[in-house]
Amino acid sequence: MKPAAFRYHRPPTLAAALALLAEHGDQAKVLAGGQSLVPMMNMRLAQPAELIDINDITDLARIGLAQDAIEVGALARHRDVAGSALVQERCPLLAEAAASIGHDAIRNRGTLGGSLAHADPVAQLPLVSVTLDAQIDIAGARGKRSLPARAMFVSVMTTALEPDEVIVAARFPVRASGEGQAFRAFERRRGDFAIVSVAVSVTLAGERVSALKLGIGGVGPVPLALDALARDARGAVADDAWARELGAAAGTTVAPDDDPRIPAEFRRELVAVLVERATADAVRRARENR
Amino acid sequence: MERMRITLDVNGVRYPIEVEPRKLLSDALREDCRLTGTHVGCEHGVCGACTVWIDGHPARACLTFAAQMEGHAITTIEGIGAGDRLTPLQQALHEHHGLQCGFCTPGIVMTLGNFLDGHPDPSDDEIREALSGHLCRCTGYHNIVAAVRDAAARMRGHHVDGGDAAA
Amino acid sequence: MPQPDFRYIGTPVPRREDARLLTGHGRYVDDIEIPGVLHACFVRSPHAHARILSIDASAARAMPGVVTIVTGHELAKWTTRHRMAPPIEGLHPVEMDTLPIDRVRFQGDPVACVVATDRYVAEDACEQVQVDYEMLAPVTDMHQALDPAAPRVDETLPSNLISHQHFDHGDVASRKSCAHRVVEASFSQHRQTHLPIETRGCAAVWDEGRAHLTMHIGCQVPHPMRTQLAARLRLPETQVTIVSPDVGGAFGQKIALYREELTVAALARELRRPVRWREDRLENLLAASNSREQLCRTRAAVTADGKLLALELDVLEDFGAYCFYPANYLARVVAMILTGPYKVQDYAFDVKVVLTNKCGNGPMRAPMAITSWVIEGTMDAIARELGLDPVEVRRRNMLETADLPYTMPTGEVLSDVTPRATLEGALQAIGYDAFRARQREARTQGRCLGLGICTVVESTTYGSAFYKAAGIPGSGHESAWIRVEPSGVVNASTGLGATGQGYETSLAHAVAEGLGVDTGRIRILLGNTDIAPYGMGSRGARGGTAGGGTLYLCALDARAKVLAIAAKSLGLPDAGALRMVDGRVECHDAAGWIDTGITLASVARTAYLDPLALPDGMAPGLDFSRSYDPPPMTYSNATHACEVEVDVQTGGVRILRYLAAEDCGTVLSPVVVEGQQHGAIAMGLSNALLEHVVYDETGQNLSGSLADYLVATACEIPPIELLPMHTPSTRTPAGLKGMAEGGVMGAIGAIMNAVNDALAPFGVTVDRQPLTPMYLRALVRGKSPFPAETR
Repeated sequence: MKPAAFRYHRPPTLAAALALLAEHGDQAKVLAGGQSLVPMMNMRLAQPAELIDINDITDLARIGLAQDAIEVGALARHRDVAGSALVQERCPLLAEAAASIGHDAIRNRGTLGGSLAHADPVAQLPLVSVTLDAQIDIAGARGKRSLPARAMFVSVMTTALEPDEVIVAARFPVRASGEGQAFRAFERRRGDFAIVSVAVSVTLAGERVSALKLGIGGVGPVPLALDALARDARGAVADDAWARELGAAAGTTVAPDDDPRIPAEFRRELVAVLVERATADAVRRARENR
Repeated sequence: MERMRITLDVNGVRYPIEVEPRKLLSDALREDCRLTGTHVGCEHGVCGACTVWIDGHPARACLTFAAQMEGHAITTIEGIGAGDRLTPLQQALHEHHGLQCGFCTPGIVMTLGNFLDGHPDPSDDEIREALSGHLCRCTGYHNIVAAVRDAAARMRGHHVDGGDAAA
Repeated sequence: MPQPDFRYIGTPVPRREDARLLTGHGRYVDDIEIPGVLHACFVRSPHAHARILSIDASAARAMPGVVTIVTGHELAKWTTRHRMAPPIEGLHPVEMDTLPIDRVRFQGDPVACVVATDRYVAEDACEQVQVDYEMLAPVTDMHQALDPAAPRVDETLPSNLISHQHFDHGDVASRKSCAHRVVEASFSQHRQTHLPIETRGCAAVWDEGRAHLTMHIGCQVPHPMRTQLAARLRLPETQVTIVSPDVGGAFGQKIALYREELTVAALARELRRPVRWREDRLENLLAASNSREQLCRTRAAVTADGKLLALELDVLEDFGAYCFYPANYLARVVAMILTGPYKVQDYAFDVKVVLTNKCGNGPMRAPMAITSWVIEGTMDAIARELGLDPVEVRRRNMLETADLPYTMPTGEVLSDVTPRATLEGALQAIGYDAFRARQREARTQGRCLGLGICTVVESTTYGSAFYKAAGIPGSGHESAWIRVEPSGVVNASTGLGATGQGYETSLAHAVAEGLGVDTGRIRILLGNTDIAPYGMGSRGARGGTAGGGTLYLCALDARAKVLAIAAKSLGLPDAGALRMVDGRVECHDAAGWIDTGITLASVARTAYLDPLALPDGMAPGLDFSRSYDPPPMTYSNATHACEVEVDVQTGGVRILRYLAAEDCGTVLSPVVVEGQQHGAIAMGLSNALLEHVVYDETGQNLSGSLADYLVATACEIPPIELLPMHTPSTRTPAGLKGMAEGGVMGAIGAIMNAVNDALAPFGVTVDRQPLTPMYLRALVRGKSPFPAETR
């Protein structure tokens, strides 16, 4: 399967890339890692007339600490996010999720910005960014703006990006003391897109939950943050029974679509099991991280 | 569509070629550089047969446009070992019967060769995890895992007898 | 029975194929450089069933780089139609245009072919070809296909029921009426596809001066392919050469002459330019060849202690839209060998095969893959219903050595098989009793462990007598030649088609053993129909026995002449006291064997360059030919054991341990045989757990990419333990038997039975594949496990 023809651009700077996007608008697609875009182009499901390869803009690949946030540039490869000591230490959920993406060859090329812009409903990085309330930094011809992750993902593979805009970075909160994080996904095979995925952060004060963040992927067009459940969890004793109840509650809260091959009921059950197991992991890590 | 003049740096050799922007790296290597060791199995990044190194890191050649590669160094299977000088991994695959039809083999050598450089003492689970990005329809993976284990041992300086039929 | 004493056969020798394959210097069909070659690409139907009203290629033709565009009309002039009409009772004959002219019958059916300067341009042009379709209602379900009111896939047939056979032996009805119980069980196997990592492809080169077609094509059966291709092109066989290079796997998908390859060959002749085609993966998934999709039901009449009195089998198979093989081809083997290792004479089957608007079926590694699951699952069902131990039920019914040779109710003769030995070997190796204890313990902790046992009796190496008895035209013989060159090295050839089985290595063992030389000086040539002798190719696990057997016999002929020449030069009256070892002639006297100083090379020099020194009347040279027809059927057997854990909360299945005890006769190359076992088992596990060709009710293929059609990776396939328990055949050269498909059969049965064992406390059984988590969750949802049982 060979892609349709396109004009190829390789801007050396962000300004040059933005100028191209302003000129070509929705005729253009940005090429970062290509691990999601190029298969679609090879299958001719995507046929952009203009392809803007931003891989030379290496400034966008930085991973660093900026105030109380880990700032990850849009061009940071999943391999580097997963392998960064800074990310592993200060935002382990992000590292764990990035490490689970596909396989080595995919992680070596795939990027944070690409994954967020692609907005696959069950992808890891959109889920983590929604769960942790990341801020997404965007640049366009008309200037810069920041969006909370929740505002970024509008629908299946649809973001709030305008045609002349590109993601430049995402900022993730640094883990607090007493906070434990965990990611779990259920996939048919190693490295597949998950059927359901779960991202959890639990902060403990003593034996009780002082804060909870809970995000679910695969139960709707965009990642779902279970805010009400998270609020209600405050003060609960963080034991196995609580984790099980939280799972059960999550399973009844989500409202996935029914599909003959993957019934809604099955997704709900997976949510319950994965939330229980991920929460138990997160609690254990919270205790280790006091 | 107009063609571009680019130069590919493959296995340390420069190949000046003329290609459309849309030409996949997998096709450019095979047709324009005449290096047919990189195989095409799916063109959507799943089977792993087309895996090469880009700047030393395994990547799918079918998900890369040749035009993107100017300024980068590509390594293909033809650049691994040489004739009667096989790498420890290639030698181990041979001794452990870790290949049958051979179509998926170059991609596996690229990925697992790189893996062994970073994992001198891998567990079987780690080997299988690294191998999971490659589909093999012939071997059932068993002997490939044995070969990688043995290659790691050799690279650490101990030789292990091959061909153990039991796990 | 001890293995005969072989010097070369059975020694582990690393493969000589590896040197080129490990370094990227293999030569697969797409690697062959052909100056001036054009590229073909097919326009395919997006609809499952439709009339072709018109095809407008004018816009496409005008595109730069497009050379020509052809449809079924042109191909009808250049080629003959395909007729599939073997004289089998109950099977309707069918015909097929080279490319469809009136209607398309499945999503992916090719309707036009674009030829251009490269594949990129060809795909651009394909998009511009306008095809006007009138949609027709499709039939997409095997049961729907049986309804007389259903849309008909082939208008020339009275219905979609293309094949129906019934068979009866003994008195099943009266056995059923006096049985303690009639146990019913159902087995549904889903639609799958072969998925070789190298897709189909070919390159056709027409030599105008010689009026000769050279077809480069990865092919399991080079000579039958040549015969078919020549006939379809109305060329004599002398004007067609098939060259099969390195092939990236086939598993049955590269046997028939499909329409695309025929189209490419016809185009090369018409254009007088070479044309190549490389199927892409989406095409391969959509339109190459499907397999399996069979529903089997058994009814077993049993005594109170689980002895089989009679067995009935119903098979319904969905064959898809087109018959590149006789429609009963796959299902008939299932019915023929179902009784497998068990003693039962009262047996009846009813086999129905229907057409639907899906990609047509073909044999996929173990066309009879469902068989062992069905019979072993039936044994387990008997055990469940009667409250007996499933191993005891098997023991009570299984053939023992004293029962052999055993004639199955279908007339198949089992001899030289050892199912009881492999059963006991596997049980001991997996630790059956200890497992039951662990299983009980695990159940108290809410963990569901299961153990599945599956004994396989694998039909291999079909001989001509089998085809004759079955009324199928065709032969099971194989041919070989061996030539000792003047310098004493050996070239040898047979009609097999290599697709990864390591023939260059294993067949060299057969020649080495017959002749008495080391494998290192032997070259095996395969795949070129001008070089290899006319043979039936590689299929039905026949390579070792048919190809290896023929080469072994041919090598014995060669040895006899070589030793006769040596005897003459030693002044001996005959070669009775001589033997050849590692290419040197030894003579036996009172002291033992001594080297005579005569080598194969010196004998060859005499034979070619000094023929007057040969024995009187002996012709010069060392050139030998042989053909060999194996017994009607050669059986090998194995028992597979699989331990699993089912996560009942998610439906996930994890394989904890897998082993197979196998008797596949004399092993030419142990390394190659183990590799075949691993690969077959992995395919069976992948088939049962993950793979699924899915069509929706409109005939749209929903599994059109590798993200949807899931093949197991190294994380889903466990380590595989093998117990060799080989005993030689008494009826084949060197005691060879076939193998390499049984692993698929055993794996499918073992994992299905294992999951059933794991879920037994819930009172549910799995009767269909694949074992998706959704399916398993649906079975246990709302049920709580019975109190832990004690067996």
